Amino acid sequence: MRGVRRFVEDLLSRRRTKPFAVDAADESQIRTAIALRAAGPDAEPSDEFVSSLRERLRTELDDAPPVPEVREVRGSRRRFVLSIAAASAASAAVGVGAEMALSGSGGAVTAEPGDATVTPDNGEWRGIVAVKDLPDGAVRPFDVGSIVGFVHRSGDELNAVSGVCTHLGCKLALDGPARRLKCPCHSATFGVDGAVVQHRLPVALPPLPKLMVRESDGVVQVFVPPRQA
Amino acid sequence: MAGQKVWGRRKLDGGADSESDSVSVSVPAAAAVRLHVVTEDSYSDWEAVYNDNVGRVYRMMFAKVGNRPDAEDLTAEVFVTALRPLQLSASVGEVRAYLSATVRTVLAAYWRRTLGREITRLEEDWALTEPVTDTGDGGDSGAVARAEAILAELPERYRRILQLRFIGSCSLKEAAKELGVTVGNAKVLQHRALRQAAAVAERMEV
Repeated sequence: MRGVRRFVEDLLSRRRTKPFAVDAADESQIRTAIALRAAGPDAEPSDEFVSSLRERLRTELDDAPPVPEVREVRGSRRRFVLSIAAASAASAAVGVGAEMALSGSGGAVTAEPGDATVTPDNGEWRGIVAVKDLPDGAVRPFDVGSIVGFVHRSGDELNAVSGVCTHLGCKLALDGPARRLKCPCHSATFGVDGAVVQHRLPVALPPLPKLMVRESDGVVQVFVPPRQA
Repeated sequence: MAGQKVWGRRKLDGGADSESDSVSVSVPAAAAVRLHVVTEDSYSDWEAVYNDNVGRVYRMMFAKVGNRPDAEDLTAEVFVTALRPLQLSASVGEVRAYLSATVRTVLAAYWRRTLGREITRLEEDWALTEPVTDTGDGGDSGAVARAEAILAELPERYRRILQLRFIGSCSLKEAAKELGVTVGNAKVLQHRALRQAAAVAERMEV
């Protein structure tokens, strides 16, 4: 009984309520007190609350979980992969992989910003795996220096996607059994076809860019930017 | 530029150091456009989600917990929980359904950790998509109607004390004066009135 009275007193005094041991009789009184109070004042959020929560969310959402691996190389790697995305967004040529970025030779691929119909005109076909080593359903990572990615076969269809997360450019890891590509940085997950499977990011995440892929002379080849001179 | 609207890139764009500057320069327009594909029925960024729904979520929580500080805490919990994993590609309806589900979960967890009983719950069919009557002076019509229905079943003095205290927000002293009784009497009257109101409310639920 005391607990209920204190609870009701808190409600009426607009204080935070406190936990206490509740029995069935208490429960219906509390529920009724809330129902009555719901028709009272304070039913609208205050402007102050709305703006302070907005600020709090701004701070919390901005602080992505720390990712040491990326932070260390952020200067070169992130900037670099973002610039790649300009090209990869529209064209099949994805650009240059993270390794080269780390060595500082960025900028291999350029595209007119905003041009959504870039077609790769200066690439080359590079063999990545023997056709016989890519049976139906298999997924293989590849790294041709300028590009990292994954190729997979389902039936007669070959598919190759970039192996770089479209969020901040971390290198994706293959989860073979699940046929998923996982980002170690913020846990985004892509299908082997490049589709976004899940992520916990407050932005819309683009799917992985696809690469042109073909079979030639018993070898699976992808179309990638040419090697740097 | 478009990139500034992308929440995840805010820090990069807003930064003053040279590293950030070079990042923002290279944020590709094509990629930015893809992040910003906004149809009529979806939100452009988390802030749009927040602005459009914070009032609804708060009103809902207030109706279920009956006081401002608790409703504010729970509203904050809903948005902190919901916004991070939110996919902005979802439609407004989907986002609201998702927020409703979060409200339901947060409310249930709140009662579990405070009173150990589920005092109030969000009905399954309730969604944030329901029209909300903005009367200007606050309150949602459903809650008012429900309170009035309970009060209507009570004897006059019980009804008066509850109206004064719960809806009118009078202090015990003010209510006592209004009713022409002592503060002690008003207190007892309030307890009895609430007990009877609870019996009425229970009958109405069945």
